[in-house]
Amino acid sequence: MTDATVITVAPSPAFYVALILYGVAALLYVSAFVEAPRWMVPAARWALLAAFVTHGIDIGWRGVLHVHPATSVREALGFLSWVMVGGYLWWAWRVKLAMLGAFVAPAALAILALARLSPSGEPMAGLSALGRVHISLATLGVAIFALATAIAVMYLFEDRSIKRKEFDRVLFKRGAALETLDRLSHRLVVIGFPIFTASVMLGVVWGAQRAELLSRPEWWIALVTWASFGGLLVARTTHGWRGRKAAVLTIMGFTASVAVLAIYLARRALGG
Amino acid sequence: MASAGGSGELFVVGLSWRTAPVAVRERLAFRDEEVAPALADLLGSPDIDEAVILSTCNRVEIYGSTPPAQPGGSAVVAAAVARSFLARSRGVAAEGLADHLYERVDVDAIRHLFRVAAALDSMVVGESQILGQLKGAYGAAARVQATGAVLGRSMEKAFQVAKRVRSETGISRGAANVSSVAVELARRVFGDLDGKTILVIGAGKMSALAARHLRVAGARSILVTNRSPEKAAELAAEVEGTARPWAELPALLAEADVVLSSTGATQPILDPKLMKGAMKARRWRPLVVVDIAVPRDADPAIGKLDGVYLFDIDDLERVVSENLKERQKEADAALSIVEVEVTELRRWLRAQRVVPTIRSLREHFHHVAMGEAERCITGLGPQASAADVEKAIRRMSELIANKLLHTPLSALKATEQDLDTMVQVTQRLFALTDAPEPAPAAAPEPLIQGKKG
Repeated sequence: MTDATVITVAPSPAFYVALILYGVAALLYVSAFVEAPRWMVPAARWALLAAFVTHGIDIGWRGVLHVHPATSVREALGFLSWVMVGGYLWWAWRVKLAMLGAFVAPAALAILALARLSPSGEPMAGLSALGRVHISLATLGVAIFALATAIAVMYLFEDRSIKRKEFDRVLFKRGAALETLDRLSHRLVVIGFPIFTASVMLGVVWGAQRAELLSRPEWWIALVTWASFGGLLVARTTHGWRGRKAAVLTIMGFTASVAVLAIYLARRALGG
Repeated sequence: MASAGGSGELFVVGLSWRTAPVAVRERLAFRDEEVAPALADLLGSPDIDEAVILSTCNRVEIYGSTPPAQPGGSAVVAAAVARSFLARSRGVAAEGLADHLYERVDVDAIRHLFRVAAALDSMVVGESQILGQLKGAYGAAARVQATGAVLGRSMEKAFQVAKRVRSETGISRGAANVSSVAVELARRVFGDLDGKTILVIGAGKMSALAARHLRVAGARSILVTNRSPEKAAELAAEVEGTARPWAELPALLAEADVVLSSTGATQPILDPKLMKGAMKARRWRPLVVVDIAVPRDADPAIGKLDGVYLFDIDDLERVVSENLKERQKEADAALSIVEVEVTELRRWLRAQRVVPTIRSLREHFHHVAMGEAERCITGLGPQASAADVEKAIRRMSELIANKLLHTPLSALKATEQDLDTMVQVTQRLFALTDAPEPAPAAAPEPLIQGKKG
């Protein structure tokens, strides 16, 4: 191992603090699901905010050492979870979204831990500026979609809970209103879609520059992601698709984007 | 009562839904115009100084206080007076009432008052009506000067406690009656109801009530439709809504966000075909349908449609019972707030009872001391020598002490009953000790000696 790779791999102390704080926030949010004292949700929110800030410090510190979020899939994943948490926090102070925190905080923790454990920490060889922008935008887009999807999943659970009239369940008592969730998810897709579109277009150009084969599966799966979200936006405006249908499409699109990331990760791990 | 004198004490006598069936409660209830004469009657008794009559459909209670600084008039006596007054004024046999009436004095009366005000003793825990009723009862009594310092302070405190309980616990959270549950259910789907439209189908009183609750919660407009246009117009006027023809139902369903249905129809009116069309027309914006009718107006199948949230009367009742369970859980927290406030008010009331005694004691001492001082000064005259002055001051001090001690000492000597109590009280009042004990020495030494012995 050269010195350069050592620097790449070593996270700052802030990273471990962030990891612990994410864990604390996740624990608090998940316990708030069950009969919880009133201080628990605000405590979880503050813990998550603290995690977000320390995680931000880690990203900044690594940036100073030239390990940008766009240098590798691992960095990109870390950045993705950071954006997702930031987006959640942005709304958590305005809307009753405590239950969503129980999805977001553990997800951030898992993504971060997985990214660090993945063997693909080395920077890609010959990463051009175009490639960096592509990776950054794709990450940002997927992070926003991830949040939209978490909300969509919440929506489906709650919709079912209300339709089944589970008046004594916590989902019925503490969840945010259905229309609020639907609106939030839609707004996120509206923000995320242009970003993702731009990244796909840059990806095509970048791929062409590197003479990559268009038959690679990630291209087609990425296209599924793009088509799902694009179709969702069109159907919503023209046919008034919302609620359950919109939630299902959002989840579909996001699943496809996760598949793309997984293929990238696998390819890097196998040295492809 | 252990406390001798028992002046300015609080008591309550009455019955409530807990102790008496409605047949008894209605016979005891006071009409508004009966309250003032009844209060005058009560205050006619020398044992009762202040009184408030609280008469609602769930309880009839007389709150009162005994006269301040009047020895002998205890709260128990006053309560008995109020008890017989109730029977007499309502023309009910006292024996028949005995099983239903309860009475509380002193701390227990304060606690009872606070619990009533905070709706902890209500049939529907946490309901908001009782506080208004109590305020009304207090106002009515205050208008005829039937209240004073003790009851006034207690009532004001009770209102504060009710407010605290309401804001610091979840005791009033969640709809507690079927007509306001619709608001809660609509909020689960829409968040806030600002700008939402309500559609009332049929002429049910319950849906009219529910519509009003929804309007208070922020809904913008109420549409009313009925097979009979006259009835629609009537109800629309009542809820300040707009009457719309029955034939427009499909269009109305597309327009409304919350539907309240309570027709007398025997067949479902809201069937899947109609609702599918309506949902398409409204571009699948969510629709909450509350079906209060029995037999039901809505085909249960419409609840399966995407975006349609259907609730029937059983669901509403289930939500209510669920909420009441939650409220009951919060009642514990409320009770501990009540306990804290009870202690506080009790302390104040006790202080009030001591105040007159303190004042006259002070005046008495002042009077004696000043009288002797005056006498001493006039006795000395202008040419008194320093020795005379010294002698006169010593004599004056002696006289003051003797004069002040005379009455308590003769009382102490004359005591036949409770002599020990009197001695103890005197010792405590003047911080005396019987046989002067040695000053407490440094702790460890005597302990060790004790062990040796």
